[in-house]
Amino acid sequence: MTTVATADLRPALPALPPRPSSAVRYVRETALLVGRSLRSIPRVPERLSDVTIQPVIFTFLFLYVFGSAIHIPGMRYQDYLLPGLIGQGLAFGVIGAGVATSTDFASGVIDRFRSLPVTRLSVITAQVLGQMIEQVLGMIIVVGLGLGLGWHPHLDGPKLLELAGLIALGLFAFTWFGVLLGMLVRSSDAMQGVGFAIVLPLAFLAGTFVPIAGMKAVPRAIGEWDPLSSLVAAVRQVCQGTHSSGSWQLDHPVPAMVAWCLLITAVCVPLALRRFRNMTTA
Amino acid sequence: MSSELAVRTEGLTKKFGSFTAVESFDFTVPYGMVIALLGPNGAGKTTIVRMLATLTEPTSGTAVVCGHDVAHEPDAVRSAIALTGQFAALEANLTASENLVLMARLRGYDRVAAIKVAKTLIDRYDIGEFEDKLVKRLSGGERRRVDLAAGLVTRPQLLVLDEPTTGLDPRSRQVVWAAVRELVAEGVTVLLTTQYLEEADALADQIVFIDHGHSVATGAPAELRAQIGDQRVDVVASDVDGFERLVAALGATFNLTLAPERRTISVPAPREALDLASVTNLIVSTGAAIDEVALRRPTLDDAFLALTGTPAQSVDEQEEVPA
Repeated sequence: MTTVATADLRPALPALPPRPSSAVRYVRETALLVGRSLRSIPRVPERLSDVTIQPVIFTFLFLYVFGSAIHIPGMRYQDYLLPGLIGQGLAFGVIGAGVATSTDFASGVIDRFRSLPVTRLSVITAQVLGQMIEQVLGMIIVVGLGLGLGWHPHLDGPKLLELAGLIALGLFAFTWFGVLLGMLVRSSDAMQGVGFAIVLPLAFLAGTFVPIAGMKAVPRAIGEWDPLSSLVAAVRQVCQGTHSSGSWQLDHPVPAMVAWCLLITAVCVPLALRRFRNMTTA
Repeated sequence: MSSELAVRTEGLTKKFGSFTAVESFDFTVPYGMVIALLGPNGAGKTTIVRMLATLTEPTSGTAVVCGHDVAHEPDAVRSAIALTGQFAALEANLTASENLVLMARLRGYDRVAAIKVAKTLIDRYDIGEFEDKLVKRLSGGERRRVDLAAGLVTRPQLLVLDEPTTGLDPRSRQVVWAAVRELVAEGVTVLLTTQYLEEADALADQIVFIDHGHSVATGAPAELRAQIGDQRVDVVASDVDGFERLVAALGATFNLTLAPERRTISVPAPREALDLASVTNLIVSTGAAIDEVALRRPTLDDAFLALTGTPAQSVDEQEEVPA
C-alpha cells in the first residue's frame, strides 16, 4: 500500500450531533429533501412544462381558435373553460409526478438517500410534497393567465376555501397516483407516454372544453362517469355557480370529486408505500 | 468473534422471479481489510452489494454488517456504512457543493457544520475547481470524485464501492485509487466490486471471484496470481499458413493456448521480457508474417479460465434489473 501522511490530509470532521427522535428526524429530512426538489426547479425549468405549457396552449387554442365555434348557453367561454382547465390540470399532475419519480429512481439518487440512515417515509413524502408544490406553481401560472384573459370567477371567502380544499385534495390524490406509476414504469419516456395515453382522452371527454350533454352517446356515457368530469364540474360549480347534470356524479360534482380523490388516495398510498419498500431496481 | 468482522454472510441468496442472481453466498470481511468482489457483468456483484447496503432484501440467508443484521437492523447498518454506487448517485441539478451539504445535513449535521464538512471534503478531493458546477455538467471523473466525497460526510466503518472506476479514464481511475488507498491507510474497511483484474490486484488484500451468483475462488492477489499464471505473450499471425508454422515452432518450447479463428497464439511468459525475446526469435526463425506480438497481463478471462476451467461469461441483462 502507498504510504500516506494521514494527519494532514484529513482534518477531523465535526462530530455528529446526537440523533433526535424519529419524528423530529422525519420532519427535518422531509424538509431537506423537499428543498432539494425545489432548488432544482429553476435549473430545469422544462420540468414545469407539463404543468404550464400544456394548459397554456389549451387556454389559447380553445379560447381563440376552437372557442369561437363553441357556444355555451348563459356564460362566456372564458368562464366555462378556465375552471375546467384547473380541474383537469389536477389529473395532469399524474404525468408530472410520474415522470419526475421515474427519473429520480432511474438516476440512482433515491438509492443514495435510501442508503443513508434517514427515515424512509421521508424520502417518499418529500417526493409527493415536491411534486405538489410544482403543480401549484403551474396552477398559479394558469390562473394568472386566465384572469388576464378575462376570466371572472365568482368566489367569496367560503367558496375560495372550498376551492382551495378541493384543489389540495385533488393534488394529493393524483400526485400519489403519479408517484406510484413513476415507480412502476421504468423509464421517464415510457411514463410520459403512458400518462398521456390515459389522461388525455379522459380530459377531452371530461367536459373541459365542450359540454358533455352535447356529445354522441358513447363519448357522453364515458364522459358522464369519467373521474375527470367530476373534477372539472366541481371546480366549475365552485367558481361559477354552474350546475351540471347527466349522471349522479355530474349532479353532485363536489361530493363525487371528493369520493374519487379519497378512493384514489386509499388505493395508491398503500400501494406506493409498499412498492417503495420493495423497490429493488437501481 | 463477529466483532472482528465488518461483514459476514451465510447462505445469502437473491432471486428475481425464476432468475437466481446470487446463490448461497458465504463470505467475510475482517475490519481493516480491502476485499474486492471480482467478476464479469451480471455475475451478481451489484446484487450482493445492494443486499449488504440494505437496498434489496435477501430472498434467504443472513448478512451481518458492522455487527448488525441487514434484515433486522437496517438503520444501524446504514449508519455504519457509506455506499458509492455504480452510477454516480448524486442530484444532477444541484452543484457539487450543494450535494455535499445536502448529504451532510441528511446525516444529521446542522447547516453550519454541514458547510464545514463539505469544505473539508472539497479540499481533500480537489473538488474546488468545479464545486459550483451543476453535477449534470461534470465529467465522469469529476462526478465520481464528488460521489466518493458524498459517501464520506461521516467516517464510515465500512466503505462500499460498487464499480468505482467503471467507465473512467485512466487518470480519473488513478485519482479514485489514491483516494481509496488513503482511506485504507486511515483504517477504513473497504468492500469494492470491479470487473477489472488489475483494479482488484492493485487495491485488494483479498479477492473473491464471482460468477453466476457463486463465489468461485478466493484468495490474496499473490496466491491467485500464482494460480492464474503470469504475463503472456500473444502472437497474431497474418495468415493461416503462418499460424500453422508458428504453432509448430513455438509448440516445441512452450505450452500454447490457441485461438485459431483469430490466428492467435498465447504463450505463458513467467520470465516476461526473456520469454518475449525467445518468442520473437522463434517467430523470426520461421519467417512467418505476423500482425501483432504483445506481452500482456492476464485478463479477467484468463483468470476465470485458470480458476474455473470455463471463460467468464457476461450476462446480457443488467444485474440490478430484476425479471
